[in-house]
Amino acid sequence: MKKYDAIIIGTGAAGGIVACLLAEAGKHVLLLERGLALSFADVGRDHLRNQRLAIYGHNAGPELAGNPRVFVDPQGRSRLVKPHELDYHNNAACVGGGTRVYGAQAWRFHPDDFRMASKYGVPDGSSLADWPITYETLEPFYERAEWELGAAGDGDGIRSEIPRRRNYPLPPVPPSPQTVALENSARQLGWRTSPVPLLINTEAYRGRSACIACKYCVGFACPTDAKTGTQNTVIPRALATGNCELKTSAVAEAIETDDRGNVIGVSYFVNSSGTPQQVTARSRLVIISAGAIESARLLLNSRSPFHPTGLGNEYDQVGRNLQGHLYPRAYGLSSTKVFNGIGPGVTIATIQFNHDNPGIIGGGMLADDFIKPPIDFWYDSLPPDLPRWGAENKRFMRDNYTRVMHLRGPVQDIPNPDGRVTVDETVRDKWGVPVARLSGTTHPATVDAAEFMRERGEQWLRASGCEKVWSTQPGLILSGRQHQAGTCRMGSDAKDSVTDEWGRIHNHDNLFVVDGSLHVTNGGFNPVLTIMALAFRSAEYIARVI
Amino acid sequence: MNTETLRALVDCLIPPDDFPGAYDAGVCNYVERLLQTDLADEAELFVASIDATDAEAVARYNVPFAVLTHDQQISLLEAIESGAVESSWPMAPSRFFTILVNTTAEGYYSDPQQGGNLGCVSWIMTGFEDPADS
Repeated sequence: MKKYDAIIIGTGAAGGIVACLLAEAGKHVLLLERGLALSFADVGRDHLRNQRLAIYGHNAGPELAGNPRVFVDPQGRSRLVKPHELDYHNNAACVGGGTRVYGAQAWRFHPDDFRMASKYGVPDGSSLADWPITYETLEPFYERAEWELGAAGDGDGIRSEIPRRRNYPLPPVPPSPQTVALENSARQLGWRTSPVPLLINTEAYRGRSACIACKYCVGFACPTDAKTGTQNTVIPRALATGNCELKTSAVAEAIETDDRGNVIGVSYFVNSSGTPQQVTARSRLVIISAGAIESARLLLNSRSPFHPTGLGNEYDQVGRNLQGHLYPRAYGLSSTKVFNGIGPGVTIATIQFNHDNPGIIGGGMLADDFIKPPIDFWYDSLPPDLPRWGAENKRFMRDNYTRVMHLRGPVQDIPNPDGRVTVDETVRDKWGVPVARLSGTTHPATVDAAEFMRERGEQWLRASGCEKVWSTQPGLILSGRQHQAGTCRMGSDAKDSVTDEWGRIHNHDNLFVVDGSLHVTNGGFNPVLTIMALAFRSAEYIARVI
Repeated sequence: MNTETLRALVDCLIPPDDFPGAYDAGVCNYVERLLQTDLADEAELFVASIDATDAEAVARYNVPFAVLTHDQQISLLEAIESGAVESSWPMAPSRFFTILVNTTAEGYYSDPQQGGNLGCVSWIMTGFEDPADS
């Protein structure tokens, strides 16, 4: 049987980078992706079935049939959920993973995000902890991700909060009418702002063309490949070496171990020929990059007499501390038109409320929003006192779709060990593998921070001259979704973490997790650039030791 | 299905003014397509609830829903929305009403490939699309 140097499970933000670096280092790599390589036309522009508004389905996988999860609500009632439902906590399943259809905000975490327990102490009921590495350790890898993949922004605008050696390689997206209003009012409030950094080519970069400012960014695929994903950068590089074999429609079942408990490969199902087949592949090393929910599920489903509760799970840590972000949203009715139809639409942010807020643990970033298609606006953004139907509702849509200013932002999750992924023995996917069971909630301190940020959003909009302001406040729920993280935390002690600082599972020398699962905490920012930076760091290490 | 009643219902939810109402924008096409696909599981009860709407109209005013005056239609819809119905219904009237309101908006405001929003009428109305570009 052919033996690979490494098998990588998942082609998203992390898996694509690891595959590229290992293949370029001359290693023979098998890269498994449960979904398909989706073209621009495959992803499409269905306003009701996309990664942002998924009323009846979605556009980047997984398939709705045969891939259920079990969701347990805060009252303890469990039910089956389909992939497009909110409580499924989906991230895209296709080549590129979430990066195929994301909004591509390219934030670094704040230095204090790596030392949350030291800075704030650990509140009761929380598993808040410091990272085993500092911001300074990760900084060169953030820079590498920004330059190698192509990030656009204004480094000087955020350097006072988040130090950096180099600016971004690409200039920021241009301001919109909303940007100008928000910038002026922030100045009056004494708040610092900056353009939103994005993994989008504001100019042609490294062989891919520039953004054409269309209205379909987050939730959709890019018509010019200006939006940077692993599918149009590092995965083509990996394949060009001839050292990387990419298999799509390949669903990992379990990590295989020998009769002494050592990791020897991966068993997976393929359906590429139309006939399902079970395959076992051997390798010197396995890297799991399937996202925080599926990576945990795979470890928990990899059981043997040596690991009766799953690999890496001796201390019942795998799958705990599931984090994402609560998103307070605020809206304001401007007296003038703020919509100019120029995408992506997100232009300006403040990051001065990410820390040091009175009585609050953490905080978050606050930014304007991507262009929202009208039906998304109708579902998401109307004032609560507006009738849901009739002449008045229609009039509001007609008069105000272009006059509503939107602010939203991710709030740092204060982790709760009971917000978790387990596997449900009684529910199997179409391959017969036990599915992920999601239960618990974030910690109440997250809700306090979200409420604080909601108030900042309203304050900013009022200062911008909005005649009417409204907002939504998330309650005490499980967070995860597209920002899912935390289920295989890095640390030094196997009793309260799953991997070491490189993503290597404690007590295994050849099994790694590299994805958002490693995040000890998830910052008050979109996490993808941190996932990428960690992937560069771990992949360099793995290439050295393999 | 009583298409006259559905037409009158969706036009109450998104009425014609300077811009076409729901029916003229193709919302009934959208709803009928959805009842055969993504809403197939609830289609039978939904269609029966359209008949129940007529039965409510007859019970209160002795004529079907489409023949009521505008004020009578609105008043009956408010009763259905709040569940204050007089006859027995195949599904909770408020649930029927939520599906009706949501699918009418979906047909009106989403992409024309779905069957509604003919000529991108709502996108031009809202300003999402510049008529000069269409």
